[in-house]
Parts: sequence; structure tokens; C-alpha cells
Amino acid sequence: MDNHGGWMETAFNTRDPVYLQVVRLFKERIVTGLLAAGEAIPSRREIASLLKMNPNTAQRAYKEMEEQGLIVTEGNSPSRITRDEDVLRNIRSELLGEAVRTFVGSIRNMQVPLQEIVALVQEEYESDAQRRDRKPGGEGA
Amino acid sequence: MIRIENAHKRYRWRKVLDGVTFSAEKGQITCLVGMNGAGKSTLLKAIMGLTPLSKGSIRVDGVGSKRELYEKVSFIPDHAAMPGGYRLEDGLQFMADYYKRWNEARANELMAFFRLDPRDRVGNLSKGTAAKYGLVLGLAADTEFVLMDEPFSGIDVFSREMIGEVFSSRLIEDRGVLVTTHEIGEIEYLLDRAILLKDGKVARDIDCEQVRDEQGKSVLDVMREVYRS
Repeated sequence: MDNHGGWMETAFNTRDPVYLQVVRLFKERIVTGLLAAGEAIPSRREIASLLKMNPNTAQRAYKEMEEQGLIVTEGNSPSRITRDEDVLRNIRSELLGEAVRTFVGSIRNMQVPLQEIVALVQEEYESDAQRRDRKPGGEGA
Repeated sequence: MIRIENAHKRYRWRKVLDGVTFSAEKGQITCLVGMNGAGKSTLLKAIMGLTPLSKGSIRVDGVGSKRELYEKVSFIPDHAAMPGGYRLEDGLQFMADYYKRWNEARANELMAFFRLDPRDRVGNLSKGTAAKYGLVLGLAADTEFVLMDEPFSGIDVFSREMIGEVFSSRLIEDRGVLVTTHEIGEIEYLLDRAILLKDGKVARDIDCEQVRDEQGKSVLDVMREVYRS
């Protein structure tokens, strides 16, 4: 079934600026490979109606992504994801760093030795990989 | 721009508006928030010239005459605006006869989008369907401003979603929208500005993204501050 590239499943929270949540969404899609370097992205108007948000907010999100070098727009052609390797690498380390910081922050008060944490992370990482192997193609539904 | 300056309105002894000043810009979605009886509908009616203010002024892009105003601003009230015996198509014809800027192609597009049957009668519509029909009547004219009174109140969640979709589509784009609500709910994301009315005055006038950005607050958070204190 056509779910418009998964855009329509997005839910925003109400306390972070919506335009930054859109930028974040694009970064996640780039890092996970759902959006490739150089790939054309929906127009501002299209993304507004796909994500059911205010067109002014879409405009602002795209402007922010242009300023961060995430997307490039040339003349009248559709905006594209950048091909700049440095920018793409930075996004990856930004998201990874954030996830690790959140994780560390959430267990900080438990006073667990680093070794134990590393072992637990490794264990979880491996069993997660196994779980996914057992479900060929990723999703069953 | 719709500019309301120092609006006062009194119903007998009760002051409904006690010096309200704000503007609604073109290309933006502005929401008038307030509890029941806060004067939201009164303001919309006053803009349309349907009720006189006791004091204060309202200007729509400097327009003077009423006739001109009706070509510039459309009003979607919270109740059926057509006689119950009318078929939906009769209502569309009435609008086409009355408004110079009526856009028939857009009316048909909206009827199809909301899956409305032109042969149905206005009096037989459910509340949600009547709200959708109201949107068709209000949005099909090529007006620069659209006023909507409580478009989301008392209707089912799927109808709400469809109406929400209209807000993010090109049917709205570039127009100025002034919408009233007493519950912000799922339309939070769609707004540019929120104007919170309390005790006949503007308690807060906020740029929604700015409040999230600078204070980490949702519109609902700001409402709590204003209405629970």
C-alpha cells in the first residue's frame, strides 16, 4: 500500500519547534538510508500536506536545512539531499552522539561500572541483530 | 491584514470585549483562543459587520464598503448557513450567484475531497458533515481572508483530520485564516499565531514556533498559564 514513503506516519510533539522536528526527521532519514545523497525531496508544499503542517513551517524547515547545508536548491529544480560527504558524516556523528548522551544520562544515577554497561550493550546489540535475522525482510506485516 | 483596534462590546450589562487589539496577517493561520463566552464569535461577526461594536475599529486591508468586504473575506459560521430544505448543490448555486469570486472548479474539488453528495439535503447532514459543507462554502470563493468559527467543535476524529488536512493544503496557502477554538488539541501544529482572550482582553498574543523555540512550551502550556491562574 502507498503510504507516501512513510512520511504520513510522523507524529510531532508540541513542545519542540515543529520546524526543528522536521529537520530532525530528515537527518534520521539520511542516516538510516531512507534518503540517499543527491536524492530529490518533496517540495515545501508537498511536505506540508504530507506531514499535515503549516506551509510556513515547512518553508522555515527547508530554509534551516539549506543553511545547515543538508539540502541544496538550484534554480527551479526540486531541492536535493547534499552530496557533501563531510556534512553527511557530521549528521551521523551528531545523531549517534545524541543517542549515546541520552543513554548515558538515563543510567547515570544507577552507578553501574562501565565494563558491565559495555557488556550489556554488546549483548543487546547481538541479540537484536539475531532477532532481525529471524525476520527476513525486516517487517512481517 | 485584518486589524482590530480597541474593540469594545457589551451585551446589556455584560462586557464581552473590553479593549481587544490584534491583527491577523495574510499567509498566516491565526487562532483566537478563549473559553466559551470569551467573545471569539462576536469578534468574527464584528469583522463581517454582522454585529456592531460599542467602541473600536476594524479594518481589512483598508476596505471601506461592505460589498467589497464580502468579496475579500469569507465567513464559515459554526452552524448551517443554508436552509434545511436546500440540496447541497442548491447552496453552491446560491453562492455562485452571490459572489463574484466564486470558484466553481474549487467548489467541486472540495465536495469530492470531503465526499459530499450534491443531492443530499442540508437539513439531513450530521454535525461533522455540516462542518465540511461549511468549509466548502467558505473556501471555494477566492477570498483573501477566511474566518472560521469553531470548525473542529463537536465532530468526530476523522472529520477533524480531514479538516486539518485542508489547513495544510494549497486551498489555504497564501490566504489569511482566522479561526476560533476553545480547545487547541490537534491543530496546534497548524497555527502561526495564537491570541488568547480572557476577561474581554487579549491575555497573550504569541508566535507559536517562537514560544516552543525560546521557552520550550506548547500552546497548551501557555493556555494553562493563562486560564488556570
